[in-house]
Amino acid sequence: MSAKKTGLIFFPAFDWAISPTHPEREERLLYTRDQIFEEGVMDLPQIHEYAPRLASMHDISRTHFCVPRVQSQVTEAHLIAAGSTLQLGDSVINGEIKNGFAMVRPPGHHAMRVVHGNRGFCSINNEAILVEYLRRRHGIRKVAIVDSDAHHGDGTQDIFYHDPDVLFISFHQDGRTIFPGTGFTNELGGPGAYARTLNVPLPPGTADETFMYVVDNLVLPVVRDFQPEIIINSAGQDNHYTDPLGSMRFTARAYADFTRKLKPDLVVLEGGYAIETALPYINLAIILALAGADYSYVMEPDYWPGRFKESPERMSKVHKMVDQLLETWAKRDQVDLQKIFGTGKYYQRKKFIYYDTDYIEEEQLEKVCICPDCPGYILIESRGERNYREPIRIYAISVPFQACNACQNEAYEIYEQYKARAKYDYVYMQDKTTDTCMAFDKKKGQEWMTEG
Amino acid sequence: MYIGIDVGGTCTDAVLLDNGLVRATAIVPSSDDIISSLLQALDQIMKGVPAELIERVVFSTTLITNLIAEKKYDPVGLILIPGPGLSHDHYKYNTATYIIPGAIDYRGREIMPLRYEDIEKAVEDLNNKGYKKVAAVGKFSVRNNKHEKEVASRVKWLHPEWHVEMGHQVAGQLNFPRRAVTTMLTCATREKYSFFVDSVREALTRRGIEGEVFILKADGGTMPLNKVTGVPIETIFSGPAASTLGVQALLPPGETAVVVDIGGTTTDLALILGGQPLLASRGAPVYEQLTQVRALAVKSVPVGGDSLVERVGREILVYSERLGPPYCLGGPMPTPSDALRVLGLTRLGSDKKAHEAMEMLGRPLGMSCSEVAQRVVKMVIDIITQEIEEMFIQWEQEPAYRVWEVLQKRKERPGMVVGVGGGASGFITQIAARIGCNPVIPPYAPVANAIGAAVAMPTLQVSLRADTEQGFYTIEQEGFQGKIEKDPFGEEDALQLANEWLRKRAEKYGLGNMIEKTECTRRDVFTMVRNWITTGRIYDICVQTPRGIVAHIGTGTRGEI
Ligand SMILES: [Zn+2]
Ligand SMILES: [Zn+2]
Repeated sequence: MSAKKTGLIFFPAFDWAISPTHPEREERLLYTRDQIFEEGVMDLPQIHEYAPRLASMHDISRTHFCVPRVQSQVTEAHLIAAGSTLQLGDSVINGEIKNGFAMVRPPGHHAMRVVHGNRGFCSINNEAILVEYLRRRHGIRKVAIVDSDAHHGDGTQDIFYHDPDVLFISFHQDGRTIFPGTGFTNELGGPGAYARTLNVPLPPGTADETFMYVVDNLVLPVVRDFQPEIIINSAGQDNHYTDPLGSMRFTARAYADFTRKLKPDLVVLEGGYAIETALPYINLAIILALAGADYSYVMEPDYWPGRFKESPERMSKVHKMVDQLLETWAKRDQVDLQKIFGTGKYYQRKKFIYYDTDYIEEEQLEKVCICPDCPGYILIESRGERNYREPIRIYAISVPFQACNACQNEAYEIYEQYKARAKYDYVYMQDKTTDTCMAFDKKKGQEWMTEG
Repeated sequence: MYIGIDVGGTCTDAVLLDNGLVRATAIVPSSDDIISSLLQALDQIMKGVPAELIERVVFSTTLITNLIAEKKYDPVGLILIPGPGLSHDHYKYNTATYIIPGAIDYRGREIMPLRYEDIEKAVEDLNNKGYKKVAAVGKFSVRNNKHEKEVASRVKWLHPEWHVEMGHQVAGQLNFPRRAVTTMLTCATREKYSFFVDSVREALTRRGIEGEVFILKADGGTMPLNKVTGVPIETIFSGPAASTLGVQALLPPGETAVVVDIGGTTTDLALILGGQPLLASRGAPVYEQLTQVRALAVKSVPVGGDSLVERVGREILVYSERLGPPYCLGGPMPTPSDALRVLGLTRLGSDKKAHEAMEMLGRPLGMSCSEVAQRVVKMVIDIITQEIEEMFIQWEQEPAYRVWEVLQKRKERPGMVVGVGGGASGFITQIAARIGCNPVIPPYAPVANAIGAAVAMPTLQVSLRADTEQGFYTIEQEGFQGKIEKDPFGEEDALQLANEWLRKRAEKYGLGNMIEKTECTRRDVFTMVRNWITTGRIYDICVQTPRGIVAHIGTGTRGEI
């Protein structure tokens, strides 16, 4: 196999839906299938199509705390979507392919570290699972994730908020006008990973010109500066001008230009619900861009060049925001962290998380240990309540793969202490240094453990 | 009684089956005059058998394969309507090609109409260049054939005597570039195919055979031998399909086996999984051109008994070329067959000559004859076993688009390696030992291909795609598109409609009795929701008559169906 090929896994899950009329239904990638099959894309010499595979329960536990267990939150379709991204990750690292596109559903970028249920059509976070897998299996450390979905990639942000080795950039429709209502410029990462999270909330109606401005002036220079070993693109397609959920005005051509410029190693499909008018064209254009092929013949039937004019007001607003973010990025190592995050052994934040698909409300207290030697372990106290049901309380400890010995030991002590406390239904331990995951069920007095 | 005849490039093989038993076999040289070699083969197997007892005759042939290989067909002009998508630079074929503006989308909606002047300009140009055959192919023509029909009728109106072939009638699956190639090759071979049909008819009439006559397809199914129905290109590679079916018939039902057909210069590999020959997941490639022809997964490895073996420096190499027969049979250079002869694994040719051949290779390296022979045989086996492993890997890695397809993926290992073809006997034991299987060389292995033809059964498929929002449906195999009459039109209605079409198709093929048992191989339902309202459904349903063969040889039992 030539190192020049682009790997594809196409998993439209034609027999899986959240419900028959939900946007995440069987039909979602039907016309994309039609388009790429009719074009003969899989026969192109630059393309290699891989078979999907299943992720293991441990692959999920390495990234998430699924309540109560992985099995209760994921279906086989989720394991296949996640597993397919892992397959392409392996193939890229092994040098079988130059880059890969997991055109899979269900999506995942709204899934956070703790999973009480489905939110924003997502149960588990495919990109985050991929990152932790690449680290464990292939020794990758620094990763950049660029989220081009119209919705803020709040799940990915949550998982890597304290990780200095993951650069997360999300540009999306302004959270004041769309789910999940977050992703503002002041969300910049925790004390140990300051400015490794950058959010670019774009005003509704933003078109290609501004999109490209953000890409050229912010995304590309920052990613280059970060020097990641791997670049991942969370390729949501709901910024398209025909998307029924978003209000943006990007075109398929612009998505392809962005892909060509970013040169991601791995692209993972996220949202995008204009299943007829956008997805067939964007997906085709992205594939061609990854393969280094000519995508200038790909065009939406109702598009003509110059159809969308950018308002000068919108543009200058975005230009200012880009300048401000660039400055934050440039000065990221000179800021007074104590002034921003306070002093003390732990930095903590309180979160209220709403699971729009499953109507669950979660209250979370997240603490990260401030350690001079490592990013510090994370402690999470969470209470999830689905109406009329008894709330579920959990306590979870996550030890990052960069953790120092002291942090690791302390984390295990805390785990043992909390197992003894009556308040929590489940206590979890996720030790990424040894790739060990444990879960304790208070009621049953039972402990499970998985190892990679 | 059934007759199977394989019309190959060098030999015409025939068998007569009587109640699952081989009654007679014949191998006669093929001549340019198809009729005379057919008559010769028929006469050999039908000695003392009255023609009225012959219920059916099935042919397999390499005729179309050879025509394409030798490019012995009239030029075909291409009129393509690709519309937006891939760059038009991709559509380069070795013939006059005209790309005209126009577009249909995945739902069959017209996005850009055709202009008559563009068609006329292309036709005029083709006419000036002397073309009289045209293939008209549009992207998404299988969802809406309007544009292809417009082109065809315009061409016919301008030149009634021209032959026009339309993509949607030839290649119904989604894949525009493959449709273009398949349509072009169909157009190119249609005339020659009719000639073959006439010759066969003539030979059978002369011997008073009035049973049903079929021709084997690349997928191991059959179609009635008829000039009008069917697509000649589907008979391409029916030779390897025949061998595979032959092995299937010669093994007990339900076996998993690797079929190794070792010929002079190539070795064909096929898989039988749980008793069924494996179908290729994509259409067959025909001399580097990708088509939509459904075919058994047969892998051709360029090594055989006559392959050239040479010493280069301190290395011994096996090449894919053939320079002539093996040295022991008077050929110019050493071959794997000579190595087998030295090792006593075959009785072919002169032992003395074979030793000479090995000595030529081994002396400069200080190796004995048997050392060299062992090395050569090992090299051939290495090549073949590696390809067998790759075939299994490829099969395991076939893409899957549904959850159930991913979950049912199995790993299957063969229990036996079955050898057919001239070179099989010498290699098969060692190939089997290498991959941990039992070696089998079935009785009648030399005429396995003719047996395969004799036992082949028609498999008829119908793929229905109904779009209730648009109110129309298409039948992939028929190139048909029509209105949905029933309202509401549910999943069961769609299934019923598909089965009705299967019945119609069976009648058209004279196979009315085949549809007692049908199976549904795909049943996808897509609910269309627009602006939060369900606006329709797309049903994608595939029904077929069961795959199988009419009998297993030697068991005396009839019918696996
Ligand atoms: Zn989205
Ligand atoms: Zn530490």
